[in-house]
Amino acid sequence: MDYTWHFQIVWDYRAVFVRGAIMTAQITFWATSIGLTLGLALGLMRRSQILLLRAPAATFIELFRSTPVLVQLVWIYYALPILTGLQLSNTASVSIGLGLHAAAYFGEIFRAGVNSISKGQWDAARAIGMSYTQSMRRIILPQAIRRMIPPFINEFASLIKLTTLGSALAVYELLHEANNLINSTYRPLEIYTVLAVAFAALIYPIIYASQRLEQRWQLHQ
Amino acid sequence: MTAPVIKARNVQKSFGKLHVLKGIDLEIVKGEVLAIIGPSGSGKSTFLRCMNFLEEYDHGEIWFGDQLVGYRKAGNGALVKDKASRIAAIRTRMGMVFQNFNLFPHMSVLENVVEGPTVVQRRKREDVITQAKALLDRVGLSAKVDVYPEALSGGQQQRAAIARALAMDPEVMLFDEPTSALDPELVGEVLDVMRSLAADGMTMVVVTHEMSFAREVADRVMMMDDGNRVEIDTPEKIFTNPSHPRTAEFLQRVLR
Repeated sequence: MDYTWHFQIVWDYRAVFVRGAIMTAQITFWATSIGLTLGLALGLMRRSQILLLRAPAATFIELFRSTPVLVQLVWIYYALPILTGLQLSNTASVSIGLGLHAAAYFGEIFRAGVNSISKGQWDAARAIGMSYTQSMRRIILPQAIRRMIPPFINEFASLIKLTTLGSALAVYELLHEANNLINSTYRPLEIYTVLAVAFAALIYPIIYASQRLEQRWQLHQ
Repeated sequence: MTAPVIKARNVQKSFGKLHVLKGIDLEIVKGEVLAIIGPSGSGKSTFLRCMNFLEEYDHGEIWFGDQLVGYRKAGNGALVKDKASRIAAIRTRMGMVFQNFNLFPHMSVLENVVEGPTVVQRRKREDVITQAKALLDRVGLSAKVDVYPEALSGGQQQRAAIARALAMDPEVMLFDEPTSALDPELVGEVLDVMRSLAADGMTMVVVTHEMSFAREVADRVMMMDDGNRVEIDTPEKIFTNPSHPRTAEFLQRVLR
């Protein structure tokens, strides 16, 4: 091993990494927002006793869980405009595509979390005259959310990593910026190393925070 | 004779093909303590849960005062499921205590008791807190007000659950095997609270395996078996001279 590292080059181009990181953060933000909102709705619908709500939610979730994310993104970007005339920008395609993908998983996390609360809690809430909404908001969700946090963080971390698929649609997120930089500097080792470290720096604090939260909440479970 | 608080007429219920309630009739008057006994699987818990419609009966009628529980009569006389808000309103007037306590684990003991009156009845929080503390004092938990349920013994949890139900100022208290999940040495403290409630004139329906409690505290005892009401009578009659052989056989097994 006599490779000489030249991290100076990466430092010189730090602005490119910052730009890429901002794009990655934006895509993650939109995908998470879409994923949480739609996922909550999907999770509720899938628990419904009404078939007309349950069936579409189940179909959506299983469809997105059983197809590759890259295929979903490419389909939204290339196939959707041909079928509907709706041409989304590459950034929007990735944000929405990952949002829909996340919604399928968040929906399942939500459903599993609510289902994990014992039936006795519903009984107790109902017995003091609570409505479905009151029971859900005051009794079931506060307990269920604590159980949803670890799988949710998992999914969130995975979502951040999935933004790199945006490079396939030429979105200027971290991986795409890095590839461009490699083309002009011929320093893949340094750049990919820094890229890996950058992702770890983004994601590890989140995982750590979730572990701490989990420990704290275990006190009152 | 006053009008019954709860009146059940030919109440039936099936879980799929399993006919768990085969037509129960019952009238409970104000201030009465009724104990329901019988072997497990006899339908006694299911019947109790039908009274506040946590379990939906599918035939017959249950009346709470002048209100039909869970259903309303449609124009053609048929019964249709009542609005959720009306069912909930009836539940606020009946307290229920469960075998597994079902306290809310994310709330302190005091918050558990305050929750119903503030969220459901929308009463003023300060007033409710004063009342809740008095109730917790009454069930002997004034030292545990700010503790979370997990830190309580089973007996303490059940007493907190009784306080939670009482905070709604219910007209009737329903007890679903309240001591069955308790260690034997903790049963007494819960029964003591129930005894004092009965002495204060609370109308109570108690599904129980505690025969001595049924015998001492209940005004009447109802024996159930296989989804039927076998007999209903005073404790003296049931425990010394039951009219049905099934009752005698059951009591002989549990009172050995």
